[in-house]
Amino acid sequence: MARISILEPPVSALELRAGQIADPVERLRFLRQEMRPKARLAKVTARSHRRAGWLAAGLAALVVLVPVPTGSAETLARERLLVSPDTTNPAIMLEPAPRVWLVDRSGSSELYSNGLRIDLRYAVSNRPRRQFPIFSTGGVRQGEGNAPVGIVYHTTESNLAPFEEKENRRLQVSGRSSIEVVRQERAYHYQIDRFGRVFRVVQESDAANHAGASVWADSRGVYVNLNDSFLGVSLEGQTSAAEATTPAQIASAKVLTEMLRSRYAIPAGNCVTHAQVSVNPQNMHIGDHTDWAGKFPYAGVGLPDNYAIPLASLYVFGFTYDSVFLRVTGTRWRGLDLAELWVARQAAAEGAETGKYRSVLRRRYKDIEVALKEEQGEEVVK
Amino acid sequence: MNQTSQFHALGLDVGTSRIVIASRAEDSFRYESQLNAFVAIPYSKITEGVLEREKVPHTVKAGQIIVHGNESEKFAGLLNAETRRPMTAGVLDAKEPDSLAMIREILATMLNGHQSDRKKKVCFTVPAPPLGAEGSLTYHEATVRQILTDLNYEPTGINEGLAIVYSELESSNYTGIGISLGGGLCNVCLAYLSVPIISFSIPKAGDYIDTNAAAVTGERANRIRLTKEDSFHFNGFFADKVHQVLGVYYDDMIRSLVTALKEAFTRTSSLPKFNRPIPMVLSGGTALPPGFRDRFEKLLWEQEFPIAVSDIRLAQNPLHATAKGALVCALSDS
Repeated sequence: MARISILEPPVSALELRAGQIADPVERLRFLRQEMRPKARLAKVTARSHRRAGWLAAGLAALVVLVPVPTGSAETLARERLLVSPDTTNPAIMLEPAPRVWLVDRSGSSELYSNGLRIDLRYAVSNRPRRQFPIFSTGGVRQGEGNAPVGIVYHTTESNLAPFEEKENRRLQVSGRSSIEVVRQERAYHYQIDRFGRVFRVVQESDAANHAGASVWADSRGVYVNLNDSFLGVSLEGQTSAAEATTPAQIASAKVLTEMLRSRYAIPAGNCVTHAQVSVNPQNMHIGDHTDWAGKFPYAGVGLPDNYAIPLASLYVFGFTYDSVFLRVTGTRWRGLDLAELWVARQAAAEGAETGKYRSVLRRRYKDIEVALKEEQGEEVVK
Repeated sequence: MNQTSQFHALGLDVGTSRIVIASRAEDSFRYESQLNAFVAIPYSKITEGVLEREKVPHTVKAGQIIVHGNESEKFAGLLNAETRRPMTAGVLDAKEPDSLAMIREILATMLNGHQSDRKKKVCFTVPAPPLGAEGSLTYHEATVRQILTDLNYEPTGINEGLAIVYSELESSNYTGIGISLGGGLCNVCLAYLSVPIISFSIPKAGDYIDTNAAAVTGERANRIRLTKEDSFHFNGFFADKVHQVLGVYYDDMIRSLVTALKEAFTRTSSLPKFNRPIPMVLSGGTALPPGFRDRFEKLLWEQEFPIAVSDIRLAQNPLHATAKGALVCALSDS
């Protein structure tokens, strides 16, 4: 049944997304961008063509032959479909960001209006956050950002003591040692231990080494390698033992998420798990890291079920996944189905076999990867 | 949006009867308007001195003083003469020898206060081709573009009807029908999620009403226009001939527009399948008389219209909506 809804014209979803943009100029900009004739795809495909010989050349020709809109809304909608599927579930985008403010700050802690208390004793700096590129779904660089646009949730995957009173000492020791490691690695911006204490590790103004090779998209565009664009929040725990996550951790993750969303106007749809964004460019599989591949307590953290969001890594860059990954996720994400379906639709719209079309998308990623490496030099990849 | 870009963009409505500039002022829009007209008066040093002292826009040429913009109407009244216009039917008037020089003067005067170190984006309106004809608008558009470029602006054109959509139909995500009822033309644009689908114009608008009413009543077209703007309305009976004649020609114009709308949308095979009725917005000086919207709606519903229309509304500010839409377009390009 879920697949039926996506086969309907995507206009309502696009409109809903546009409707979330309060500023009329920004809304117009968004719509014009989304509805623009997709010459970009031709450009990217043509670039791939130079590299990949006759196969890509054939596909490039197909893409180039896609007609420029001639005035039919259906044509325009169809062309938009070719490269610009819905990146978000409209319901997710409707989730408002709560207003949270700093109440008090001492040398060792911060108190926020929603009850969030952040322990600052472990805070360290890392390299300052760089300006990060934002790509169109056609793979063309269309802008830059410099403030965090999302949150990636992680697990420490550290050893867990039973959460029992008699284990207090072990719980405290393992929590502390975990933070020490995270601090040393500059691995996350925040860590939440099993008692629900929130520790700032890497300063928010700096990048943390948390996301590595990763991809996500929202209505503004596509983000590649999220260390600069997303904040990293880790919960002490293990993906395979999600039930060990304590209510205190979930409650703290909720207030921390509220604060960060309020501070940076982060859309709910951009608060996702590492497993959802992580990619492996070597084998072009998603889920290189599997933190919170399943059972992330989205509802408890005050977020919609973001596992339903189609993965940009699949529909923009042609990544795939294997059965091992599916086993880790447990319940299959709806976002996987949606992204797969988008790829199939795009391929069909261009008259290309899905596998061949996916190879064009992959070259798009490779082009970006090379460009980013040239631009940024070596970067710590987790 | 980049804060500075807000102030480096302008919307420019280059209409047959008026030119309007829209700019952004903090959270609001600011408008300046001038008549797109001029009048030549005999040269005298005293007159020139008075005009300079009173800061009346003018140029001296070939033994004449040419007053342009808003003041031209007053001088035309004093001299019992008709104003001349650089444009007719939405484009530069090929029969007016001073059209190019005058529109350049008017634009230069109006844009003078907007100069800055940085090149500003200006989005200017261009009419759509007349329905059923492939009339070339290239010369008009290229000329205005060149003038603006010479004035150190970065110009882009926008269809006049689309500008209405951008100004007024934010609530429907820029989907709907925008109609600009100006002096020379009625411009229509059907847009779908900001993309213009069908655009056309008809050459019956305010000037058509003025000229024909003037011919019938023996009045000057200028005077007819003033009467139309000051006291004409649709809801009532007029004993005097001018108002009666205005009513007749207004009806004729509306019927022509409604017929054109129906024809254009009926014969377009690739008409979008909208998932809900779409709004229609009326704008421009010719839509100003009280009761115009009701009259238009009545005549539209008499037809079997091929598109489901949710509502017909007047633009919030009919005289400035086109310029505002052009500005919104320029800002969204920034």
